Amino acid sequence: MYFEADLNNKHYKVDVVEMRHSWKISIQKESDSWVHYDIPKSDYKRSESYFSFLFKGVSYLVDVIGKDTDYTVFTRNSYRNVSIFNDEMLLHESLKRGGGFGGDMDLRAGMPGKIIEVFVKPGDVIKSNKPLLIMEAMKMENEMRSSSDVKIKEICIKQGDSVEAGAVLIKFEEA
Amino acid sequence: MFKKVLIANRGEIAIRVIRACRELGIKTVSVFSDADRDSLHVFLADEAYNIGPAPSKESYLNIPNIIDVCKKAGVDAVHPGYGFLSENTNFARACKENGITFIGPTPENIESMGDKLSAKALMKKAGVPTVPGSDGSVDTVEDARTVVKKIGLPVIVKASAGGGGKGMRVVRKEEELESAFRACQSEGQNYFADKTVYIEKFVTDPKHIEIQVFGDTHGNAVHLFERECSVQRRHQKLIEEAPSPSLTEEIRMKMGEAAVRAAKQIKYVGAGTIEFIFDNSTKDFYFMEMNTRLQVEHPITELTTGVDLVKEQIFVALGKPLSFRQTDLKQKGHAIEVRICAEDPETYKPSPGLIRACRHPQGPFVRVDSYAYPGYEVPIYYDPMIAKVITWGETRQEAVDRMQRALAEFILSGIKSNILLHRSILRHPTFLEGNYTTQFLEKNFEVIEPEIFKEVDDHVFLIAAAITAYNDRKSKDVRQLNVASKWKNMGRKIQLRM
Repeated sequence: MYFEADLNNKHYKVDVVEMRHSWKISIQKESDSWVHYDIPKSDYKRSESYFSFLFKGVSYLVDVIGKDTDYTVFTRNSYRNVSIFNDEMLLHESLKRGGGFGGDMDLRAGMPGKIIEVFVKPGDVIKSNKPLLIMEAMKMENEMRSSSDVKIKEICIKQGDSVEAGAVLIKFEEA
Repeated sequence: MFKKVLIANRGEIAIRVIRACRELGIKTVSVFSDADRDSLHVFLADEAYNIGPAPSKESYLNIPNIIDVCKKAGVDAVHPGYGFLSENTNFARACKENGITFIGPTPENIESMGDKLSAKALMKKAGVPTVPGSDGSVDTVEDARTVVKKIGLPVIVKASAGGGGKGMRVVRKEEELESAFRACQSEGQNYFADKTVYIEKFVTDPKHIEIQVFGDTHGNAVHLFERECSVQRRHQKLIEEAPSPSLTEEIRMKMGEAAVRAAKQIKYVGAGTIEFIFDNSTKDFYFMEMNTRLQVEHPITELTTGVDLVKEQIFVALGKPLSFRQTDLKQKGHAIEVRICAEDPETYKPSPGLIRACRHPQGPFVRVDSYAYPGYEVPIYYDPMIAKVITWGETRQEAVDRMQRALAEFILSGIKSNILLHRSILRHPTFLEGNYTTQFLEKNFEVIEPEIFKEVDDHVFLIAAAITAYNDRKSKDVRQLNVASKWKNMGRKIQLRM
């Protein structure tokens, strides 16, 4: 299962694969290279209300609180907030971020993906909450809707395009 | 001996008193507010009664309710702990009127030390050094200027009724005097309904060193040496130690004798503390105030003198003479106490909430006075201190090493705590060399320890969070499959049969 995570103001990519007897976990911090761990399940096991985690020979008692995207991890009286997003949530979060029409008057891709269909053309006046386009990302089709009444100024992509995270998809102007 | 004692308090100090009573064969009665039904002092006492809603004013400060419980439960005596009603003369008198012994000083003792100006005058009379200052209230800005000319800058302007950092201003330049004076007057008026203000010399290198005293109803008074409590933030103590690394034997004896004179001057009964401000550059000490109660940090005196202060309080309340003379008392080894608070160690903001994992340190020469347990929700209404860890060592270094070891053993999750802050302070060179002042945390600390969570590899946090997130999502998927597709499953089954 692929995640993106934020910890202590740093962004990480994390991949978790559950094997029969171990966890295969890969971590990439920003533009550093990937680090791979193979953690036997016997090194990460529940004990009382917390986990005993033997990591690189160091013994940690770990407690994790939280759900959805927000977790707090306690160990050795340190604690960190970790925001974790997987495919669906990542897109959901990025759409929330990219979809803020109010400030910057354009729709951006929150993550890399492919444009499946575009419903609007330049000059159209669109009511709030109408579908603008469908973008496929992380093997899911996501309909992106207008969050307010807008007029389409320019369409920067076409059907079938692959786009990078942050790419401008549609530009708007006041309706 | 008393048969039954009510403890008009909560938290660790209520438990401390319960322990002393148990050892003496006295039955104990706890009282609790609506927010404290699940608090440990309720579980550990022989009897427990609700005394009202969560806010302290309506429960732990509610004198009529507490007196009612005293009568209902038939107690002989009340121990007030610290804080709440411990220095409230109305409560001490209400106990007396109802034939209940108040385990603490006389109402007159409390009264004479409650007002800072009259306390200072009393101390001068007893020959206890006091900070040079206005010798009474200062009513106008002109008077304030005259005082400053006499004693010199810097000075501190204080509201007479003030405390906890409110109604206090340091003046380093003459032009700051007027605004500081007016601010203290109005804070005094607003917070304590008293705008009396006085002025004192401000000590630039101040240490907070206090002397434990004990008096009885037979006119005896002794001291049990000092405690240094200079590790503070916002005028609240964080770490205390005994003996103080800054005192020579000669100064220690001088301070002890002054404290005994102070106690005798007011015919003090029971456990009390004379707080001194100690000038670390000149080694002069001045009387600050007297706390007419048991202190939070009393365990370090217990560990270095071998005296059980709470039991001694009970004996004195029974009218017995002190069980030791001055010459019987010796300070042995070194003790340190740290206060574990449910708070953010970086911002010092309280962080109440549900304690998940909680395992206290154990092992040689470690004492833990705590009311935390797994599953306990720290209420928002009261002090954030949930535990005290106290260690003893033959030397100061050994006590520090033991404390580091004990804190490393302390497992606490679910709420934020200042455990790591303590560990950082205890390895800080300024603390280790012993010359720290009350400004240590604010002035010297941040530079060397900007990041207290540096000990754990960030990948540990990431892996633990990722595995939990993985398990959460995995179990969610299974649920959705089972719940959402019963009709589909049925349909498929029928189709398969056909």
